[in-house]
Amino acid sequence: MRLLFITFSLFFTLISAQAAEKPLKIGISQEFETLNPLIKQMMATTYIYGFVNRNLVTMNEKGEYIPMIAESIPDFENGQAKFITENGTKKIKANWKIKEEAKWGDGTPVTAYDVKLAWSTALLDTVSVGEKKTYSQVERIEIDPKNPKHFSFVYEEAMWNYYQLGSFYLLPAHLEKKVVKEHGEKVEGYAKNTLYTKDPTNPGLYNGPYLIDELKLGSHLILKPNPHFYGEKPNIKTIIIKLIQNTGTLEANLRSGSIDMVSVLGMSFDQALSFEKKVNLMNLPFNVNYKPSLVYEHIDLNMENELLQDIKVRRALVHAIDRKKLTLALFEGKQQMAYHNVAPLDPWYTDDPKKIRHYKPSKRKARKLLEKAGWKLKDDGFRYKDGKRLEFTIMTTAGNKTRELIQAFIQNEWKSVGIKLNIKNEPARVFFSQTVLKGEYPHMALFAWISAPESVPRSSLHSSSIPTESNAFSGQNTGKWNNKQVDKIIDELEFEFDSEERKNMVAKLLKIYTDEVPVIPLYYRSDVSITPEGLKNYVLTGHQYPNSNFAEQWTWETK
Amino acid sequence: MFQYIIKRLMQSLLTLLLLSFVCYFVLTLMPGDPVDMMAAGNPNITSEDMQRLKSLYGLDQPAYKRYLNWMGTLLSGDLGFSRTYKIPVSDILGPRILNTFYLSVFALVLSLLVAVPLGVYAAVHKGKLTDYLLNLFAFAGISIPSFWLALILILMFAVKAGLLPAGGTYSVGQDLEGFALVWDRIKYLILPVLSLSFMQIGTFERYTRGAMLEILNSDYIRTARSKGLEEKKVLFKHAFRNALIPLITVVAISFSYIFSGAIITETVFAYQGVGKSVYDSIKSNDFNVAMVSFMISMIMVFMMSLLADIFYAVVDPRIKY
Repeated sequence: MRLLFITFSLFFTLISAQAAEKPLKIGISQEFETLNPLIKQMMATTYIYGFVNRNLVTMNEKGEYIPMIAESIPDFENGQAKFITENGTKKIKANWKIKEEAKWGDGTPVTAYDVKLAWSTALLDTVSVGEKKTYSQVERIEIDPKNPKHFSFVYEEAMWNYYQLGSFYLLPAHLEKKVVKEHGEKVEGYAKNTLYTKDPTNPGLYNGPYLIDELKLGSHLILKPNPHFYGEKPNIKTIIIKLIQNTGTLEANLRSGSIDMVSVLGMSFDQALSFEKKVNLMNLPFNVNYKPSLVYEHIDLNMENELLQDIKVRRALVHAIDRKKLTLALFEGKQQMAYHNVAPLDPWYTDDPKKIRHYKPSKRKARKLLEKAGWKLKDDGFRYKDGKRLEFTIMTTAGNKTRELIQAFIQNEWKSVGIKLNIKNEPARVFFSQTVLKGEYPHMALFAWISAPESVPRSSLHSSSIPTESNAFSGQNTGKWNNKQVDKIIDELEFEFDSEERKNMVAKLLKIYTDEVPVIPLYYRSDVSITPEGLKNYVLTGHQYPNSNFAEQWTWETK
Repeated sequence: MFQYIIKRLMQSLLTLLLLSFVCYFVLTLMPGDPVDMMAAGNPNITSEDMQRLKSLYGLDQPAYKRYLNWMGTLLSGDLGFSRTYKIPVSDILGPRILNTFYLSVFALVLSLLVAVPLGVYAAVHKGKLTDYLLNLFAFAGISIPSFWLALILILMFAVKAGLLPAGGTYSVGQDLEGFALVWDRIKYLILPVLSLSFMQIGTFERYTRGAMLEILNSDYIRTARSKGLEEKKVLFKHAFRNALIPLITVVAISFSYIFSGAIITETVFAYQGVGKSVYDSIKSNDFNVAMVSFMISMIMVFMMSLLADIFYAVVDPRIKY
């Protein structure tokens, strides 16, 4: 009996070992750049970065912040965060501790000096950091010289989201400090000389579960386990990430076995839907995974336009579209209809009809509202007021099949209540860099925003974010919605420490948003990925922090 | 001849300089800059972030100043820094130029090896069934969209038959050496080369046929035949050599085109070539990569056109410079 048990155990161990040795080849269709965390800008780089590096905190698939390289998240309850007053200004001091066992890939311990180097480098005017506020919110860092695993952040303002540091990266001081010192003062001097560019496979640059074994920009990279990783040892021994930009070729590679899976940065939603049909029809050994994400597809209305200034017209526009039917027809119900700008993954989400206004699809209501607004139906099937036809122009990215189908759907819906909709599309580059950026569309712009859970919508809804020449068209309230109540809520929201009260404040904002209809919500996009049947513990996150942050948990199923 | 070459080189240099400014200026006319594009999908970028980055990248300066800065850097031997990849341009383009060179040369050689004999054969057998069949083949090559052909080749040879890789430049994660390494590179080149050659074969076949037909109808060919010269000699010594002149022009232009114009083939086959870099750099406003790629393409056009002129003199002794 014992012999039989030993034989079974050995057999099982051998099979498991073989499975772990099998590399995982991931296909992505988006370009990646050099992996310096401070200057990276591409989504694909963030995805790859998740395999090789860990930050203080990240967000899990439920949208909650969790500690990564930090021992815990300092808060007021555990006494690690407290209010302080300096020169009459209320601030927050938070004590952080890096995990004792956390090390860089060359065995050097991760310390507060790595945090401080990243912070001081990001603040240099010569370094092209995208969102500088992530770093500049920290006024100073205090390090305990006797125990450099301990440090405190003193934040310049007392804001409740002080711990949301998922994009606050670390730099290995033992390698990068010298580079910053030598080249940091020259414009882009650091970017040009960082070891992430000059020696990207140096293990000392990474502290995550994997190290970079080979990197070819524009082509692929190979990842191998980091022997010094502080956490659970990765199950899969080799991960290969291949860049294949043409999604047709990406699918061919998947089916021919050149790659095992397609990440969230691979196929578009409609391609994944079509591939899922093939999987079912031909019994292919893949799973198509969907996860509702924070990407909000909507139509921005130009609130400065005379026709759209009438709230009855705006409400009629929403009533006239059957958005549920739209999501069923185009996405087989796998992308959820949107009520407003906050996605279901966000703790601030609500669809409670007592808190927000719902617009049931009703052509009758739409017609009634338009009649009330003075728009009378004529023989040609369209509505007129003072000799002027009720007519709008909608713009979006030319060549985007899904958006063009949505336009056609809406055009048909509005025609049935007497509204003429003209379609004028532009190449994505012109549309985003000119038309949307400067708010130059005459009536409507169809596009998407990506948000983050509990993200204060200052840049997209506050009146100070209306793009104008004076702010170099850098605001993103492109519909030019100017509502004093909303401005007040946003101004107060950043400083409200009671999470329940914040929820109430956001509900108030959403009530105004759905009452006023400055935007026509369409649907929340879903993230999609295709994985082989044998891959387990693979969970999509749906937000900006990719699931590669949990790659050490992925495993091949042993049969 | 030497004086002619020097004169042509000087002219090319001047044209290159002027064209570089035109290209740079046209690039600046495109709507949006890298910072605008970064902000387009990210509501967390603040107006301060945008203004800071524009100033850091020099995007707030007039186009001529940015051009002079770029040219100054180029003349100092530095190709610049890629905003997309955050590495020096030479590190991106160096290996890719070599990859595209392999792809282009193999495709060109294969095209010529197939197209020229077919063109000669079609001309000699004008109006016969084989001529019609070859015409059909040539027109198919010219008119079939390259991306469609590429996908069909992938489907046939990679997905269905599993004989060749579906895409890439070489096998990733395998330490190959010697013949295994060479064979691996060849395996990844076969389908892109076939795809790229197909169109070229059609074009070259038509040009060869046309040039041969014109020569075969000329007086000196009739004279050669009436003298009782062997048909092989008439065809290859008298006719083909003269038919080469228009073909040299087409091949020279095609080669410079292939070098920068294999974008679709490279993209569909995920082949790491320079064509795709040009497209990506223009799309992402990566000025330094785009400009260096333009310069390389322009230099290729000038060089190939100069080479064609030199070859004219070699094949036709009547031409002198």
